[in-house]
Amino acid sequence: MRKFRWLAIVLAFTRVAAACGGDGDDTTSTGATQDTVDLTQGGDLTFHMVTHSDDGPFWSVVKRGMDDACAAVGVSCVWSPSVNTPEKQVQDIDAAIAAASDGIAISLASPDQVGPAAERVVAAGIPLYTLNSGLDFYKALGAVTHIGQTEFVAGQGAGERFNALGVSHVLCARQEQSNVGLEERCAGLADTFSGQVTSEFGGLDNDIPAQEAAIAAILAADPSIDAILGVGPPIAISALNASETAGRGAAIGGFDLTPEILDAIETGTIAFTVDQQQYLQGYLPIIFMFLQATNQNTAGGGLPILTGPGFVTSDNAAEVKDLSAQGTR
Amino acid sequence: MTTDVATADVPAAAPDERLAYRGPIQRLLVQPEIGALLGAISIWVFFWAVTVPFGTAIGTANWLDVAATLGIMAVAVALLMIGGEFDLSAGAMTGATGILVILLVKDTAGGGAGLSLWIGIPLSFVLALGIGWFNGTLVERTALPSFIVTLGAFFVIKGAKLGFAKLFVETIQVGRIDEGAGHDFWRKIFSSVWTRNDHIFNSRDTVYVALLVVGGVAILLGLLELTYRRRASFNPGGLPIAGIGAAAGLVGLFALHGTEGTGANFIWSIVMGAGVLIGAYGIALWRFEPNPDRGALQLPGGLLRPAGLGTGLVILGVFFGLILDSAPALKPDRTVDTIFFLLTEQGLRAILFVGLSIVGLVLLLIAASRARNFSSTSGTVVSIYTAIVVTVLAFIIQSESDAPKFRAELFSVLLLVALLMATWAVVGLYFEQRRFPDEAPDRLGRVLAIAGVVLASVGVVFRLLFTTDSELPTLVGQTQFRVSILWFLLSAGLATWVLARTKFGSWTFAVGGSKSASRQVGVPAARTKTQLFMIVSAAAWLVGMLLAFRLQTIQASTGDGKEFEYIIAAVVGGTLLMGGYGSAAGAAIGAMIMAMSFQGIPFAGWNSDWRFLFLGVILLLAVMANNYIRKTAEEAS
Repeated sequence: MRKFRWLAIVLAFTRVAAACGGDGDDTTSTGATQDTVDLTQGGDLTFHMVTHSDDGPFWSVVKRGMDDACAAVGVSCVWSPSVNTPEKQVQDIDAAIAAASDGIAISLASPDQVGPAAERVVAAGIPLYTLNSGLDFYKALGAVTHIGQTEFVAGQGAGERFNALGVSHVLCARQEQSNVGLEERCAGLADTFSGQVTSEFGGLDNDIPAQEAAIAAILAADPSIDAILGVGPPIAISALNASETAGRGAAIGGFDLTPEILDAIETGTIAFTVDQQQYLQGYLPIIFMFLQATNQNTAGGGLPILTGPGFVTSDNAAEVKDLSAQGTR
Repeated sequence: MTTDVATADVPAAAPDERLAYRGPIQRLLVQPEIGALLGAISIWVFFWAVTVPFGTAIGTANWLDVAATLGIMAVAVALLMIGGEFDLSAGAMTGATGILVILLVKDTAGGGAGLSLWIGIPLSFVLALGIGWFNGTLVERTALPSFIVTLGAFFVIKGAKLGFAKLFVETIQVGRIDEGAGHDFWRKIFSSVWTRNDHIFNSRDTVYVALLVVGGVAILLGLLELTYRRRASFNPGGLPIAGIGAAAGLVGLFALHGTEGTGANFIWSIVMGAGVLIGAYGIALWRFEPNPDRGALQLPGGLLRPAGLGTGLVILGVFFGLILDSAPALKPDRTVDTIFFLLTEQGLRAILFVGLSIVGLVLLLIAASRARNFSSTSGTVVSIYTAIVVTVLAFIIQSESDAPKFRAELFSVLLLVALLMATWAVVGLYFEQRRFPDEAPDRLGRVLAIAGVVLASVGVVFRLLFTTDSELPTLVGQTQFRVSILWFLLSAGLATWVLARTKFGSWTFAVGGSKSASRQVGVPAARTKTQLFMIVSAAAWLVGMLLAFRLQTIQASTGDGKEFEYIIAAVVGGTLLMGGYGSAAGAAIGAMIMAMSFQGIPFAGWNSDWRFLFLGVILLLAVMANNYIRKTAEEAS
């Protein structure tokens, strides 16, 4: 690959020429800031996707869904991740309004802060869709529909899985301290799980050793915990490591898909993961906005469109793993 | 207060106070890290008291693991801050070096350079040093504040991590390091794990006690050497007395170690205590000048106030502490939020116990050390009084408390404190303190004191690292110590040595104090600062290696935002934000304080929502206590 060559030359290392794929991935946008995909066949439509994305493995699949949909219908799309900063998300939404966007899709992880900006979108006459987080708020804000997973229902599903595993005390470990969606997952778990549920903050994803240590500390403090639900991909792996380090052998459930989680499910160290099929959360809003702009369709009929929960267990881990390696699961 | 009364309170001034000899305890109190050390002890005692696992090997391995990566960086950042600069790119650099080494050794098919780890690791180290050199040179050349320059570097590194990760491996998770040749060897270096349950050593407690006793005796002898005036010629008459004391101490110790019953324990404790007292007296008789002037007993308000206040606080603290051991606090109870726990009866007692008794003891110690300035008799009386207060309270705890750790551990620690104070008081009455430096005893005293601290620490480490057959059935989980802890201790030790003993260390203080002044006296200021930035990037490289070999895969955002934690740890450890003053050991202790505060809450089983509020309060208190102790100690000396 061209950009890699300087390093290869420096290292006098020739095998590198075979390293990456070809130049065919130019349509896939990269980077943390706003970048555009511009093909001409969709006319001059521009859609904005303004989310609380943190550039983690989960959101890269959403973005891939957006990129694929935009390429499929030939529109320009702007991806604005705010890395869990509501203030930045508000600014990006206002910037999209100012740019006279043809459709804006937002995630509502912080509805109170971002809600007024969403109302400004509707007031400006721009079609609004919510994705990922915001199921309880999309209707009041005037969004056409919500594309995502009901966090509470996903948690309920996990609770039933744990019931089937026959455990008695589940630790619901969260990787953020003030994310409505994560709290809902734990609340859903507590709703259906027949035993005791403890919901705790287990440390941020940018410091995995501290995350493992925090979960290990909770385990040490409470010997009755025999299962852990990590409500994000890295924290599920941290839960597994903490449980192994402490020699506890707790049953582990996870959320979302990463190669590590799929490997662990294949080997049986993680029992299941909740898959919300987030590729759809990037893909569908673009298609819906495209159809609304070109064909006056409004999807959903006033109801949310659920993309999950699906479950990955040892039964289907191998197939999902192949798709995940392609970046679409 | 009139001038006459004020001067009457003050002892006669030494001829030149700059040349006056300061005793080991005063010198210890003006160290930058002493406030942090007291803070760390308080927090440890607090969580030891209110949780079950925190004080055990499981808890220790856990919070030390968190302290290790934080501490390696905090120590390096403290050096840089003493040199008067900041590095806001330090956090992002830890993730960047990890990603860098993985990219260097990853298979070419997966987007890496396919190098062996034997090349990739040194190469990544050189590149990391290059980042530090770049930061330092840019700060020097542009004369812009390092805050701005390294903020720019932070964004560059953060963006580069993400950009290169996507470019080469097409995902933001860069893995895996085990694709590099030589992985098995380097994994041992950077990610070994010591599983305590696998290492059975049944004589552990004997070794532990022996090391503690030998270490404790060495510390006591060292402090005696540092404090008292050596005789022109030794008096052999002291030796038999020292021998009798030592024999009694040993007999008491061995008997104690072999008995279980409380009644026998009590007798043998007295034998041992008397042995220590007599032994110390004998040694002092052998080596030190007798006290020519014990002086009259003086107890002015300056002594009575802190002593009385201290006594009151200790009594109150232990009174509240007694109820700590009732069951609810020792079980995780997540129905009680942290903040409300602190306001409940149980929580208030925990705070009052730790806070009041430690403040009270410190006040008593201050009174005792001040009393010596009035007369030897005053010093001895106040010290003995303090010893009696501590003894009485130890027995109250022993008889009233239900929890074994209070009845046994706290009881014996308090008795030991009382014994040492009493010994110190008796020696202080009969022998003359030095008021001038004396090379030979100074050196001997330092060696003994340091050797004692090392031996005692080795004893504690022994107890933490090994398990015994009898313990195995009661262990709820296994304990794993990570090699990162060793790297942390090495970094802290090395940095402390560099600051205290090398020319580079003196230059660091000089450029941080006043850059232009230091330049005028010949310090290579620009070079020193650039090297300090390179030390930070070297530390970030080390943390990057620890992360890479531990996690195999590193996410692009790793380490972003951690830089402020490093700065906070350094400040908690007594380093000034404006440079020129600070300590590497203090930064290491600061990192431990933060790690204990972070991990203590889940160990206590409190609701984690309040974690940061709690952390903030602890940090503020630590910094304030640090400041107060340093100022007080500087005024007193």
